[in-house]
Amino acid sequence: MKLAVFVSDFKSTVDTLERLTAEKLGIILVENGVFHAVIKEKGAHSSLLKKSANFYVLSEDLATRGLSNLNVANNVKVVNYNDVVDLIFNDYEKLAWL
Amino acid sequence: MGTLTIGIFSSVIGSMNFDFALKLSETAVNKGHKVNIWFSGNSTCAVKSNQKHMKDYSTGEKPLKALLEKGVEVCTCEACTLARGIQKTDSIEGIQWNAMHWYLAKIHTSDRVLQIGGE
Repeated sequence: MKLAVFVSDFKSTVDTLERLTAEKLGIILVENGVFHAVIKEKGAHSSLLKKSANFYVLSEDLATRGLSNLNVANNVKVVNYNDVVDLIFNDYEKLAWL
Repeated sequence: MGTLTIGIFSSVIGSMNFDFALKLSETAVNKGHKVNIWFSGNSTCAVKSNQKHMKDYSTGEKPLKALLEKGVEVCTCEACTLARGIQKTDSIEGIQWNAMHWYLAKIHTSDRVLQIGGE
């Protein structure tokens, strides 16, 4: 199964995500979930980004929070709403929201 | 082109989830996809007409009307809506009122489904 998970929160979703597996897993960071893509604690990126998955972050939600694309972790692709729609229909079969 | 059905439970005013759902719907329909939206729980408050549009808060009425004009089907859970004191006569024109079977039928015929819970 090709599963895309929307992560909309910064703190309370990592444990749930750790239990998710899929043939192909995409994690789309939106709303306050975008902090996973940029915030470092003690020099380290969010532990979520260590998971074996394709990571995406919504540019509009970065901008809303005053966050720069330049600070996004290397393994996270910056996408816009158009890209998200294409991911939904072309790259993943099932969707989940956390 | 495909069909995307979004179920949303989040409330309307100042809700990040609600805003996300509407923006995603608008983008999908602009790209030629069919979109269905199901309101349940507190999101049903979005169907109330004559919402005051404040400068610093997003509201649902204008974007919902725009989506309806573009062919997006929007349906509210009748029981949830009535439970919040909103009558059909208060509703934005074009929004359907129905029960969970509407949502289940749309899920059954959709290519993609996104269920967004409450905040």
